[in-house]
Amino acid sequence: MIRTRVLILTLATALMAPLPALAHKVISSVFPSGDAIEGEVGFSNGDMAVDLQIDVFNEAGEKLGEARTDADGFFIYTPTTPVTHIFRGDLGAGHVAEMTMPADEVADIMGVAAEATPTVAPTADTSATGLSQDAEAEIAKMLRRELRPLRQEITALKNETNLQSILGGIGYIVGLFGFGFYIAARRQIGEQK
Amino acid sequence: MHIVDGALSNPVVIGGAVAAVGGIAMGLRNLPLERIPAAGVLSASFFVASLIHVPIGPSSVHLILNGLAGLVLGWAAFPALFVGLLLQAVFFGFGGLTVLGVNAVNIALPAVLVGLAFRPMVARGSPMQGAIWGGIGGGLAIAATTLAVALSLALTGDEFLLAAKLVFFAHIPVMVIEALLTGAAVMLARRVKPELFINTPAGGLS
Repeated sequence: MIRTRVLILTLATALMAPLPALAHKVISSVFPSGDAIEGEVGFSNGDMAVDLQIDVFNEAGEKLGEARTDADGFFIYTPTTPVTHIFRGDLGAGHVAEMTMPADEVADIMGVAAEATPTVAPTADTSATGLSQDAEAEIAKMLRRELRPLRQEITALKNETNLQSILGGIGYIVGLFGFGFYIAARRQIGEQK
Repeated sequence: MHIVDGALSNPVVIGGAVAAVGGIAMGLRNLPLERIPAAGVLSASFFVASLIHVPIGPSSVHLILNGLAGLVLGWAAFPALFVGLLLQAVFFGFGGLTVLGVNAVNIALPAVLVGLAFRPMVARGSPMQGAIWGGIGGGLAIAATTLAVALSLALTGDEFLLAAKLVFFAHIPVMVIEALLTGAAVMLARRVKPELFINTPAGGLS
């Protein structure tokens, strides 16, 4: 019994130590930004990947191009073909960030239909809003800037480890080993008979 | 310490999975009834320990406690650590399901080796001596794990020395902390439950 108590003590010490909610995990995302694709790469503890090479591939694995992240972990890539884009960044030591942007979204950015040749000129359809193209571009840029912290917060929230999952995990472990104990005990009782 | 999905080539992933299955089978065979609760508690400790992050410079690393698991459980540390890893992958996305085998081998194999090598020393002499050996074992387990991680990356294509240096140096503080923690745990266990580290016919371990 004392042995169990010692081990529980070990566990309790581990539990009581300061528990930062952030895990050391790669987070990354890509989103349309005007006529380009913007993306960010970083660790879930808030460190961004600075000056990281991002390789861009299509679905077949052929390299389309590359981009580099800036000091805030952001990178911009201007697509040239409306196909599915896969962005890959190797952060080293087993950390790999992979983001995908589907073909129709890329086509949307380029202002062409998916699978069409990129020679078609983007149609200027701004008359409905009554704004000039410049003003619309300005508003779009502003919105992107305003939404950026929000987007980061959402990503961070999604990756947060909460107490419920920790307790849930411990519950699973207890249950699993309890089940193992049951099986082993049954076998031993069966042998004794 | 956890390698994520997509970082390794297929042969490495498959090799790791096969080795992990072997290790788990070996571990389950060496898990007597009396040790099952201990295995469960150590599995839970490992599961929680990975959530405690030690900030080091620009990055942060977390505790692993595989040395302690190895010292107490021997081969049985393999299934215990595997369960912890599986749940970490499912709940928190640490590592991933496809690389589970590789991660299990990287973390559990050093634990088992340290357990087999240091267990006699830990059980011998005064509790203080046992604690010192336990501490060395705890630190060594982490060092061996970093080398295993670097090796897995090297087999995929990363340059071994570079990867090894990166992972190894980042984890030096963890080695120190784990050595102290394992030492303290061994000291406590030797004082209140000395037979924990001694092979007995009933609770015998290989």
